[in-house]
Amino acid sequence: MSGALQKLLAIMPFLFGIGFIAPLIAQVVQAWGMKLPGGISPIAFGLLLGGGWGLIANVRGRWL
Amino acid sequence: MATEESAESLLLRRDIGAPPHAGDRPALPLGPDGLDRYTRRDLRKEELAIARQFIGGRMWPYALAAFGCFAVWLSFFPLAILGVLNLPLAFVLSTVFAVGGYVTSHEAMHSNIGRAGEPRRWLNEAVGQVSTIPIVFPFSMARLMHLEHHYHCNDPERDPDYTDEAPNMWAAWYKTWYNRQPGVDGSIHHYKRILADMGTPAAARALKETVALQLLFMAVLFTMAWTGHAVAAAALWWLPRHIGLSYIRFYLSWAPHHPREGRRGRYENTNVFKSRLGHVLSMGMETHIVHHLYPAIPNHRTRPAYHALKPILAARGVDVSPL
Repeated sequence: MSGALQKLLAIMPFLFGIGFIAPLIAQVVQAWGMKLPGGISPIAFGLLLGGGWGLIANVRGRWL
Repeated sequence: MATEESAESLLLRRDIGAPPHAGDRPALPLGPDGLDRYTRRDLRKEELAIARQFIGGRMWPYALAAFGCFAVWLSFFPLAILGVLNLPLAFVLSTVFAVGGYVTSHEAMHSNIGRAGEPRRWLNEAVGQVSTIPIVFPFSMARLMHLEHHYHCNDPERDPDYTDEAPNMWAAWYKTWYNRQPGVDGSIHHYKRILADMGTPAAARALKETVALQLLFMAVLFTMAWTGHAVAAAALWWLPRHIGLSYIRFYLSWAPHHPREGRRGRYENTNVFKSRLGHVLSMGMETHIVHHLYPAIPNHRTRPAYHALKPILAARGVDVSPL
């Protein structure tokens, strides 16, 4: 349990990226009525940006 | 005539200003503060007599504020989901609650609402428990770390708040954020080291409760976000927590203790400072020195206590010029 929890916490920035940042971006895009290039859906855009950002934060150890 | 002669001989002495001869030394050895032990003892007695006048007092407003604000904050979530909440206003209030919650929990950390064995002990513990939920910092962890801060104030290894030290105000604000980054050896890693050193059941429990509350926080954010309420989750909990933690770290940790290096004495580990935002908005931290000297004096009484203690603090070498 402890080991599984540690593994979960170790990838928390990535999980936060897809679990929270991604839908947050998607909902802000929708609220502001933004047109995304290539017909990409707001949630796909959010997942790309949030997941990517979370992954980078996981690797670098910093969000910015 | 004899007096005139001795005055003349004194004026003609060539060793004035030179290190004193054995016969010129003070009768009692002086400490680094320039005071002898009798003066220090008398000052301490006077200080205690004044401080006792400010210990205790009405503490129910802290309990009322803690439970009231927590209830209002909780109500924001269903109201936001129902779409009947003014989100910008709720965001501002949630941030105020996040910051203010630390003030009420701080009283509970020092058992100022009810000491162990007293009838109101349950209230003290309940206030502590609810107050720090908005900043996702369980009371068990907050209390342990805060008491360690008092025991080892400004010790680089053992003061849990030492990581907040920064050379200036802007660097301090930046560090409040930097220390929360996942890969930085900041606050939480320092806390974990101190908890490991303590090795007590209370330390283990604090760590478990911290993980549990963090996971609950994530679960609420993720659930709200994936059910279409991400903006509300950000406005009610995520952003207020981050802003609140930075604000608390700046005013409660950096401002009253900077510079920390080498300043560990009772009268030198905490500053008196003038806040640009005033006494209330800086959470009463301008007179934080009174809290470090007498933690049983509640937050709202530290300012009058400071003014009563000011001459003694000045005699002790504290720079009281800011206030």
